Amino acid sequence: MERELISKKDLLDQTGISYGQLYRWKRKQLIPEEWFIRKSTFTGQETFFPKDLILARIDKILNMKDDLSLDQVAGKLSPSLPDYEMRKCDLMKRNIVSNVVLQRFAGQDPDPTVYAFEMILYLYVIDSLLQAGDMSLEEGERLLAAMRDHFPNFEGKPCELIFLRKMGVSSFALVSVPSQVYFDSGVKIVARLSMTEAIERLKSKLI
Amino acid sequence: MDNQPYGDLNMSGVGSAGGGRYRRVKLEGVGKVNGNVSADDFRLNGVSTVRGSVETKSFFANGKLKVEGDVSADQAEMDGLIDVGGSLTGHEAVLNGYLKIGGDCEFERLRAAGGFEVGGMLNAGFVDIALYGQGKAREIGCESIRVRKIPKSRWKEALRNLFPRWRPELLTGTIEGDDLDLEHTVASAVRGNRVTIGPGCRIERVEYRTEYRKHPGAKVGKEWRTGE
Repeated sequence: MERELISKKDLLDQTGISYGQLYRWKRKQLIPEEWFIRKSTFTGQETFFPKDLILARIDKILNMKDDLSLDQVAGKLSPSLPDYEMRKCDLMKRNIVSNVVLQRFAGQDPDPTVYAFEMILYLYVIDSLLQAGDMSLEEGERLLAAMRDHFPNFEGKPCELIFLRKMGVSSFALVSVPSQVYFDSGVKIVARLSMTEAIERLKSKLI
Repeated sequence: MDNQPYGDLNMSGVGSAGGGRYRRVKLEGVGKVNGNVSADDFRLNGVSTVRGSVETKSFFANGKLKVEGDVSADQAEMDGLIDVGGSLTGHEAVLNGYLKIGGDCEFERLRAAGGFEVGGMLNAGFVDIALYGQGKAREIGCESIRVRKIPKSRWKEALRNLFPRWRPELLTGTIEGDDLDLEHTVASAVRGNRVTIGPGCRIERVEYRTEYRKHPGAKVGKEWRTGE
């Protein structure tokens, strides 16, 4: 699966930002190093970016920088997991994770149970896959186990979740980013989502 | 940094020390530090090697320093010969002498007089370069950059022709930024908003957005106006 790329020049034209801004944001780590993809073209070396990621990110920075300083923006965007905890009943009340998911995966915990950010993230990811209609509840249970076992191994480095199915049998993979994965022809990739983005989305919902 | 009391590292003469967390590090003479160092204040006078990384608020090096890892310093002042194996990052840097960096170099402000070699990318907000010798970087990204050559005597000119390494020139792949004011620069591409190409430049491709000026003594392959 190839990601759609955008060249640096097109990006600047489209978003109206300047080279200086782009490099300043890179220095502040608002734009991760992995997104700068160097490729040789007929005009020499050019830099490309994953189109969907970079456009969303620039949009976000431009929106936030009016009322926050760049360092504050950097804090909000950094992929590291915040020390954020929340009670189960608050998750339900604020509709961050749907009731169905909470009942199924955390039904035995009493309402005041406090979840760490990781756990909220897992539930959130499962919830979004379920709501998209890609995944069944049984598969959700396996996904939860897989994330619990392996997600901490990335230690905050960016990673992606790939959900694939072959002949009706599903499986999950967590891969580091950027990476290239190829499958045989029978495999259908049901969903591929960036955990980093999920973290960001969740963070903006929580904070 | 927290308020826990840390010791100072003072070294004079010839010696070696282990790395670690210090309040002040002062190396005078010939020394070696084995391991990563973090300190509020790092000062060097003399010849030293750090076999690890340096993390400090203020970084002052006078003499010859080799750091095998990365250096991160809010304020960096470097006089002499500095060799950093990894990357050099911080807020503000002043260089007098020769700086060699294996990785990337990132500063908000960088003022350099002398020569340098950056293996990776030079990314800085404001760059002011006065070249005594050769400057080299794989690519440069900035908000504004100014490159000038130090005026010199005829004798030195003759010497420089013998040793090409001493020719005051900036060699780089691409330079991208908002305000570019270049002299004696050799690059394959220069892209910016306001671009001034001064004497002694050899540039294959210039892309500019609003303003472009070119000195008759500069060689430019293709000129492009973008963002119409």
